[in-house]
Amino acid sequence: MLLRHDNIQKIMLMKRKNEFLVLLVGFLVLSISAVATDNPAKTKGLEMPENIKAIIDNKCFGCHNTDSKNDKAKEDLNFSTFDELSMMKKVSSYNKIAEELEERKMPPAKFLEHFPDKNVTDEERTALMEWAKKEAEALVKGN
Amino acid sequence: MKKIIKVILIVLVIGFVALQFFQPKKNLGTTSTEDFLVAQQVPDDVSLILKNSCYDCHSNHTRYLWYHNISPVSWMINDHIQDGKHELNFSEWGKLDIYDQITDLEKISRETKHKEMPLKSYLLMHPSAKLNQEQIDRIEAWTNNLGEQLLKKSAN
Repeated sequence: MLLRHDNIQKIMLMKRKNEFLVLLVGFLVLSISAVATDNPAKTKGLEMPENIKAIIDNKCFGCHNTDSKNDKAKEDLNFSTFDELSMMKKVSSYNKIAEELEERKMPPAKFLEHFPDKNVTDEERTALMEWAKKEAEALVKGN
Repeated sequence: MKKIIKVILIVLVIGFVALQFFQPKKNLGTTSTEDFLVAQQVPDDVSLILKNSCYDCHSNHTRYLWYHNISPVSWMINDHIQDGKHELNFSEWGKLDIYDQITDLEKISRETKHKEMPLKSYLLMHPSAKLNQEQIDRIEAWTNNLGEQLLKKSAN
């Protein structure tokens, strides 16, 4: 009888161990996926200097990505799928990025009324414009 | 009361007649070597589509209708043409750099594909300018082709 009780205790302990393992694995999986959603691929596939990536991720990506609710913004420019564009569309997109920034059409004034912290500084604007022009030039000149 | 209406009507008629002496400059330039259809080798069918559906507002030469000469319609039409030419002027294609040419070709393809162009207001008075799906596909394929060609040429 005592032996049986001992066995049951052992089995219970093993069961708890297994439960603990399952929980641990589950917890790990969840935390990894949480990190992944906190840091989505963003400007995936697009090679760019860190400072440019930081501006785009912070100030542009919000509307210009596949999951954006702003259909017009997403259609005009989608950083999530930029890499899949044809050469012609890439050149045109870089040219338009530079143009819209230069004419101060982007970020849109109406959007900035609600999210003034998303405005770009003059330095950021110039850095983005120069980057976009350089990228377009590299594509056109076949570098 | 009747007299007041009469006076108002007379003033309106005089105003309307006086308005006819003020007309915008007409968009009737001649074709130069900078023109898209001269600078690029454009197949006849594409050339026909562009002339028939785009050139009235996107070139230096508009085919005016009779009522376009009547003010204030003439001013409204003039505004449309100036806006259209500001966005894209086929007559000055040769003056654009490769970046703007590529961007414009992409825009032509996208806006016709999404039926944003020709404008609905233009189609009301020019129903023959409406593009059918076959023409839209043709424009898309052809602009893409020309864009790739221009890029290849500039890379060499």
